[in-house]
Amino acid sequence: MDRRNFMIGAGALATAATARKAQAADDVVIGVVYPLTGNGAAVGLDAKAAYEVAAEIINGSHTPIGVSMGKGGGLDKLGGAKVRLVFADSQNDPQKARAEAERLITQDKAVAIVGSYTSATGATISQVTERYEVPYLAADNSSPSLHQRGLKWFFRTSPHDEMFTKGMFDFLADIAKKTGRPAKTVALFYEDSIFGTDSSNVQRKLAAAAGMQVVADIRYRAASPSLSTEAQKLKAANADVILPSSYTSDAILILRAMSEIGYKPKAILAQAAGFQESAFMQGAGALAETVMSRSSFALDADKLRPAIPVVNALYKAHNNKDMNDNTSREITALLTLADAINRAGSAKPEAIRAALVATDIPGSATIMPWAGVKFDEMGQNTLCNPVIQQVFGGAYKTVWPFDLAAKDVIWTVGT
Amino acid sequence: MDNFITRRRRHELLVAAGLLVFAIVAPMFIKDVTTLNVIILSLLFAGLAQAWNILGGYCGQISLGHALYFGMGSYVSTLLYVHAAVPPSLGMFAAAAVGGLAALLVGWPCFRLSGHYYAIATVVVGEIGYLLFLNWDYVGGATGVYIPIARPSLLNLQFGKDKLPYLHLVLAFCAATWLAAWVIEGSRWFYAWRAVKDDVVAARSLGVNIFSSKMAAAAISGAFTGLGGAIYGLYVGYIDPDSVMAGHFSILIALPAVLGGVGTLWGPILGAALLIPMKELSSSYLGGSGRGVDLMLYGAMIVIVALAQPQGVVSLFRRRAHGPA
Amino acid sequence: MTLETILQVAAGGLLMGLIYALVAAGLSLIFGLMDVVNFAHGELMMLAMYAVFVIWDASGLDPMLQLPLVAALLFGTGMVIYRGMIARALSVQFNRGMVQIFVTFGLAIFIRGAAQFVWGGEFRAVNNTLLSGRSWNLGGVYLPLPQLAASVVCLAAFAGLLLISRTEFGKALEATREDRDAVALIGIDRDRIFAMGWGLGAGAVGIAGVMLAGFYYVGPNVGASFALIAYVTVALGGFGSMLGALVAGLLIGEVEAFTAVILEPSLKQIGVFAVYLAVLMFRPRGLFGKL
Repeated sequence: MDRRNFMIGAGALATAATARKAQAADDVVIGVVYPLTGNGAAVGLDAKAAYEVAAEIINGSHTPIGVSMGKGGGLDKLGGAKVRLVFADSQNDPQKARAEAERLITQDKAVAIVGSYTSATGATISQVTERYEVPYLAADNSSPSLHQRGLKWFFRTSPHDEMFTKGMFDFLADIAKKTGRPAKTVALFYEDSIFGTDSSNVQRKLAAAAGMQVVADIRYRAASPSLSTEAQKLKAANADVILPSSYTSDAILILRAMSEIGYKPKAILAQAAGFQESAFMQGAGALAETVMSRSSFALDADKLRPAIPVVNALYKAHNNKDMNDNTSREITALLTLADAINRAGSAKPEAIRAALVATDIPGSATIMPWAGVKFDEMGQNTLCNPVIQQVFGGAYKTVWPFDLAAKDVIWTVGT
Repeated sequence: MDNFITRRRRHELLVAAGLLVFAIVAPMFIKDVTTLNVIILSLLFAGLAQAWNILGGYCGQISLGHALYFGMGSYVSTLLYVHAAVPPSLGMFAAAAVGGLAALLVGWPCFRLSGHYYAIATVVVGEIGYLLFLNWDYVGGATGVYIPIARPSLLNLQFGKDKLPYLHLVLAFCAATWLAAWVIEGSRWFYAWRAVKDDVVAARSLGVNIFSSKMAAAAISGAFTGLGGAIYGLYVGYIDPDSVMAGHFSILIALPAVLGGVGTLWGPILGAALLIPMKELSSSYLGGSGRGVDLMLYGAMIVIVALAQPQGVVSLFRRRAHGPA
Repeated sequence: MTLETILQVAAGGLLMGLIYALVAAGLSLIFGLMDVVNFAHGELMMLAMYAVFVIWDASGLDPMLQLPLVAALLFGTGMVIYRGMIARALSVQFNRGMVQIFVTFGLAIFIRGAAQFVWGGEFRAVNNTLLSGRSWNLGGVYLPLPQLAASVVCLAAFAGLLLISRTEFGKALEATREDRDAVALIGIDRDRIFAMGWGLGAGAVGIAGVMLAGFYYVGPNVGASFALIAYVTVALGGFGSMLGALVAGLLIGEVEAFTAVILEPSLKQIGVFAVYLAVLMFRPRGLFGKL
C-alpha cells in the first residue's frame, strides 16, 4: 500500500464513525474539469490531487486548520453533508470540456463546476454553466476575456493576466525606487497561445506606460523542436529584463538554449505558468537560479499564513511534492466554493450563486498571500494581489512585496 | 445487371429513409444529455467522414488535411455572425462555399502528387492553415472567437439547453452527405473516379480527365466539410485554431470512413457509429483516472479494426448479404 | 543583424538539421523498403528518450554511454512491431495503403497512452551529463557540446547506414526493394529482411532519441513535433533516399532557423512548409526521390 492509499485508508477509518450519522444529509456534488490526458495532463493530475486534498480538509475529521472550511466534518449548515468531487477529463479540448461540464451537471447533478487550467476550456465550460444556470468557479484560467463577457454564473478566485502583469510592473517600479537602478528595456518572449497572447498584450501596454522600451517582441511556436534562434534573438536584444510567458517544456528549453549560446540574461521575470512547475526546476537545474516569477502563492509566507505548512503537508503526503502557484489556487477555489455552499445552507445553484456574490473571506482565512476573496459584479476576485518570487537554491522564495519577502531580491540590472 | 443495380439503389434509398425517420423520432425519447451529445457528435462525424469518403474513398485521394476545410468553415460562419451579423443559418452556406473553394485551391497544386507524397502534402497544407489562423489577429488569433449566447431561434441556430434541434440539424447534414454519395454512386463520375483511384494509366487511356475528376471530388468533399465545421462551431460555442484546425481533426474526419469501409455508402456512418461513442465514452469514464487508459483503448481499437477488417466493418454485413466476396 | 548573429543562427540550424535528418532516415529506410509510412515514428523516438531517462534516473549512466543499449532496444522494438502488426497490415488484399497508415497511427496513440500510464504526464529532463551546459566558443559563435556530439553521432549513423548497404544484407535489402516477389526465388526471406529493415529504422530514430535526450525534455507528446518535421524531411528528400533525408534535414534546419530570424519565430515552420511545397512543385518526388 503506497502512502497515498494509506492516507485515504486512514481518513476513511477516522470518518467511519461520523459517516453513519451524516448519511441523512446528501452529498453535495461538485464537478471538476481538467486535462487528465494529453498535453496538459501533468498540470491536470496535480490539480486532481489538490482538489482531493481540499475535499479532505472540508470533509475529514481533523484538528481545525486555519482556513475557511478548515474545521472539517463537512458542510455544517447542510447537516454535515459531504462535498463529493466528480472529475472529468477535458483533454484540453474545448468541445470535450463543454460536453463533460454538461455531463457533470445533468448526470452527476453537480451543483457547481470548478476548473479548468487552460482558458479555451474555461471559455466553453462557462458557456455551459451559463446555460444551465450553475456557478462556474475558475480556479486558474487566467485570460481576462473570460470575465469580461459579463456572464452571470462566472466567478474567478484567481487573478487574471492583467492583474498578474500589473503586479510584475509594480515590482519593477518598486525595485527601481529601492535600488536606484531601473529596468529601461524589456524583451517579450511568449508562446503563440491564448495565454501568451493575452499576457504579452498587457505587458506591451504596461511597458509603454512605464516608459520602458520593448527591445524584442518574440512570439514563438509552442513545443517547437528547437528554440536556439529565439535564444539568439534574445541575446542580440540583451534587454534589462526578459519577460517570458511559457509552459514547462518551453521554459526548460529556452533557459538551456540561452545558456548554450553563452548568454546570461540580466534578469528574467516570468509570467509563472511553466516556470512555477516542479518539472521546470528539475529540468532547468542550476540555470533556474535567480530567475524571478510572479506567483499568486508563497509557500514561504507561513508567518503570515500559518495554515500553509499544514495544508502543504497534506498535499505533499498526497502527491509527493510541494504546493505551487496552480495547486494552491485550486485548493483555495474549492474552499471558497464550499464556504459559499455552506453559507447558502442549500445546494440549490441560485442560492450558491447568491452566496458567492456575498463572499467576503479575509486573506487570513486563506493559504494565499492575498488580501482576501471578494467578487466584483463580473465575478472577478478583486483582492488577489500577486507576489514576485525568485529562485534560491532550487526553490522559489518570495521577494516582493517587500514586507512579505522571505529573502532579499537579487537585482543585477544596471550594475 | 443494370436492373440489379437500380433495384439495389432503390433498396438503399428505402433503408436510408427508414433510418432517417428512426433517427428523427427515437432521440425524442432520450432525456440524457450525454447520450444526446454522443449521438450528435456521431452524426456529425458520420457526415464529415462521408464528405471525406467522397474524395478519399471514391476518388482514392487520401487527404490528411481536411481539418483545414473544417476549420475554415467554422471560422467563416462564426466571423460572419460576430462581425457582420449574418445569421449562422445563412452563414453556414457561405462556409460550405469557402470549404469547397479552399479544397480546389489546395487540390490545384497537390493533385500532381501521388500516393504518400500527396498525403504528406495535405498534412502540411493543413498545418500551414492552422499556423496562419493562430497568428492572424483579425480572426481572433490564438484567443479564438466566442459565439455570443443568443435567444434560442432557428435563424441563429441556437437552441439553449435543448439538444434535440441540434441533433436534427446534424442529422440533416449527415443525410445530405449520404444523399450526395448516393447520387455520385449512380452517376458517370462514380466510374471515372474509380478508374482514377484504381489505375491512373488505365483511366487516362479511357479518356478520363484525371485532374478535373480529382478537383470535382475535392470541391464536393471540401464544401460538405466546411458545412460540418460551421455546425460544429455553433454547437461548441467557442472556436480557436486548436479546437477546429489542429491536425488531429484531419485524422478524426478520415478515421470513421477508414474503419467503417472506404468507398462505400454505409462505411462512414457505421464507422462513426462505432468509433465516436467508444472514443467519447471511454474518455468520459476512463479519462478521469488520468492514466492514459482511454488513449490506449482508442489506439488499440484502431489497430485491431484496421487489421481484422481491412475493408472496414461494413464488409461484415456485405459478406452475409452476398456470400464470400 | 551582425555577422556573429548570422553565423550563430546558421550553426543552430545545422546542428538541429542533422537531428532532423537522422529522425527522417529511419522513416525513409522503412518507406523505401516496403512502401510504409510509419506514423508512430515520433513515438518510437519518445520511447528511446524515456528509456534514456529511466536508465539515467536509476543508475546515473550518461546518455552517451547508453547509446548502444537503447539503440539495440529500439532495434528489437522495431522488429517486434513489424512481426506483430506490420507484416499483417502488408498482407491485406484491399486498401493496403490506408490500412498501414491507420495501423501505425493507432499504434502511435496507443504508445502515447502507454507512456502516460507508465511514466505519468510530467515533463522529465536528463541533467548534469558529461556534456551538458558546455559549449565551444569559436570566436563568438557558440557550439553547444551536447548538440555537437549529437551531430557527430548522426553523421556516423548515416555512414553506418551507407556501410550496411554495401554488405550482403544491404544487397538483399536493395534487391527486396527492387522486386519483392523475385527475391523469394533466389532464397531471400522477404519477411526477415523487412523485419530487419524495421529494426534498423527504429534503431536509427532510437539513436536520434538518445542524443536528443542529452539536451531536450521528455514527455508523452514529445514525438509529435519532431515527427511532423520528419515526414516533411522525408517527402522533401524523396521517399527511400538516405542522401535525400540528409540534405533535406540540413535544408529544413537552416530554413527554420532563418525564417525565425527574418519573420516571426512563431511562423518558422511555415517557412519550412513553404520551401517544401515549392520544391514539390518542381520535383513531385522530392529532391532525390525515384519511387
